[in-house]
Amino acid sequence: MKISAKTIVYLAALIGFLALPQLIAVKYYMHLSILALIWVIAAQGQNLIQGYTGYVSIVQAGFLGIGAYSTALLGIHYDLPVWLTILMAPIVTALFAICVGYPSLRVKGHYFAIVTLAFNMVIFIVLMNFTELTQGEAGITGIPKPGGGRDGLINFHDRQVYYYFVLIMAILMTVVAALIARSRIGQILVSIRQNEDLVTAIGIAAWKYKLFAFVSAAMFAGLSGALYAHYQSFINPEIFGVAQSLDAILAVIIGGSGTIAGPVVGAFFVVFLPEYLRFADSYRLIIYGLILILATIFMPRGIVGIVGEAWGRLTKKA
Amino acid sequence: MMIEIIQQIINGVAIGGVYVLIALGLTTVFGILGIAHFAHGSVSMFGGYLTFFLVVMQGLPLLVAILIALVVGVVIGLLIEILAYRPVRNASHINAFIVALGLTMMVEGLNLEFFGHEQVVIPTDFSHVYNFGGVTIPELRLYVIVSAAVLIAAMTIFVDRTKTGQAIRAVAENRDAAILMGVNVNTIPLVVFSISTALGVAAGVMVGALFAIAPGIGEGLVIKGFAVLILGGLGSIPGAIVGGLVLGITEALAAGFVSSAYKDVIAFVVMILVLLVRPSGLMGKSS
Repeated sequence: MKISAKTIVYLAALIGFLALPQLIAVKYYMHLSILALIWVIAAQGQNLIQGYTGYVSIVQAGFLGIGAYSTALLGIHYDLPVWLTILMAPIVTALFAICVGYPSLRVKGHYFAIVTLAFNMVIFIVLMNFTELTQGEAGITGIPKPGGGRDGLINFHDRQVYYYFVLIMAILMTVVAALIARSRIGQILVSIRQNEDLVTAIGIAAWKYKLFAFVSAAMFAGLSGALYAHYQSFINPEIFGVAQSLDAILAVIIGGSGTIAGPVVGAFFVVFLPEYLRFADSYRLIIYGLILILATIFMPRGIVGIVGEAWGRLTKKA
Repeated sequence: MMIEIIQQIINGVAIGGVYVLIALGLTTVFGILGIAHFAHGSVSMFGGYLTFFLVVMQGLPLLVAILIALVVGVVIGLLIEILAYRPVRNASHINAFIVALGLTMMVEGLNLEFFGHEQVVIPTDFSHVYNFGGVTIPELRLYVIVSAAVLIAAMTIFVDRTKTGQAIRAVAENRDAAILMGVNVNTIPLVVFSISTALGVAAGVMVGALFAIAPGIGEGLVIKGFAVLILGGLGSIPGAIVGGLVLGITEALAAGFVSSAYKDVIAFVVMILVLLVRPSGLMGKSS
């Protein structure tokens, strides 16, 4: 019975996501839902390194940027098909991630967080200033949609179509994350979080697994960035800064770190909450910050953790 | 060429002094509480903003304005410790870090609410420029270097020589043993937050007078502060001083001779290289 309850929740969520475009009347919410699904992929990646492995990386938005710029620039300069560049984006990001991860993973805890943060700043500064390649702050415009023009077999210019496209990708990547988490690799990642010295002591090369988690996280971000670039048709460095990396961390924490459903809930939270607080204008930051602090103090295991606990108590009593 | 190098080094010492002040606040808080106090930069900028406001809008003399900003800043620092950090003292460091991020947003939001989006520069009367054999030092920059040096020295003496300083070091070294020795571990964080916020406000005023204060500057500053800690070694006061000067001078030389757009990149690359060779920082205990 325990498994079936979980399955019911997953099925209900799936039906909800499939039906969402029919339920949403306001175009803008459709737009936000697409962004949230793109963020689900980035957050699932962040969860691998932060939630499972216990290393708080602050470079996820930088990797998002590398993915977005790779797909855009490869398309523009080499005239490659969109599908191909979307697939190449995570690979390019992975190459960067190996270079970033190798020095960063030599240190732990706060050191690791700050070094990755420095890398995010480096990526941001280069995107801003290497104007010959990136057009700097003005950004790159006219990034094509996949599947050719408006009269292609599937019209990706249609918001609903793009919604289902990113939905499929988000589900796919969530399944990949779940498979990694449940594999032997996932178990070792959790052991590293709990006691890295012990893992090393029993003869496991922890650094290989940490690098695997870090590079996988980056590949998720690279794909997410590519989907973002082709959705918006326009990118500039603005959304690939440290603040957005912090959003990725928050998505994992608020949703529930080290769980598969957590990043999904968290991604929608970080995309929608600031929008709902828009009415409050400059109080928005203050309220957002306050919610974060209260959430961390009073529900450190995230929304999914709280719901799971409540459910556990209910079924125990019954 | 030589003169140019000396010139850039002096510029680097001025900005490095500001980094040291920020880093000293971060490193003592980290030493005592194990918290990466990310909101430190935003609180420092609040101090800078408040000084600007008191000088320009209220017409107060600069020194009076700085004193009021210091007092208000310290009160905010104390509130942060009691209301936000104390509840997560025993939680995992990720949670404390998230609380620090939330605080940063709140303080940045308060800054926007009170002081607006405009970039401001704290006006000073120090417009004289000294010239030592071709090397020019603006009066203001000289005062910044001198006051940073005085504050750094005072802080070092306080931690090294006084009873309270000893208690601070004891708690940083071994919390449980310090409790057994009768150190009040609830008042020590308050002392540390007062000092660190005061140093931060001083740094905020210096940034506001030397360069400018604007939304986002505080976050940039705190990231530099952490880079200094990494360079010097987390929790180490001499490390913060050496690291801050190294970062400031590297940045100034990079800006002067390589590219001002990429000066931060070069500074971070130096930090990462140091980390590769000495993972515990220049002055950190090698483990």
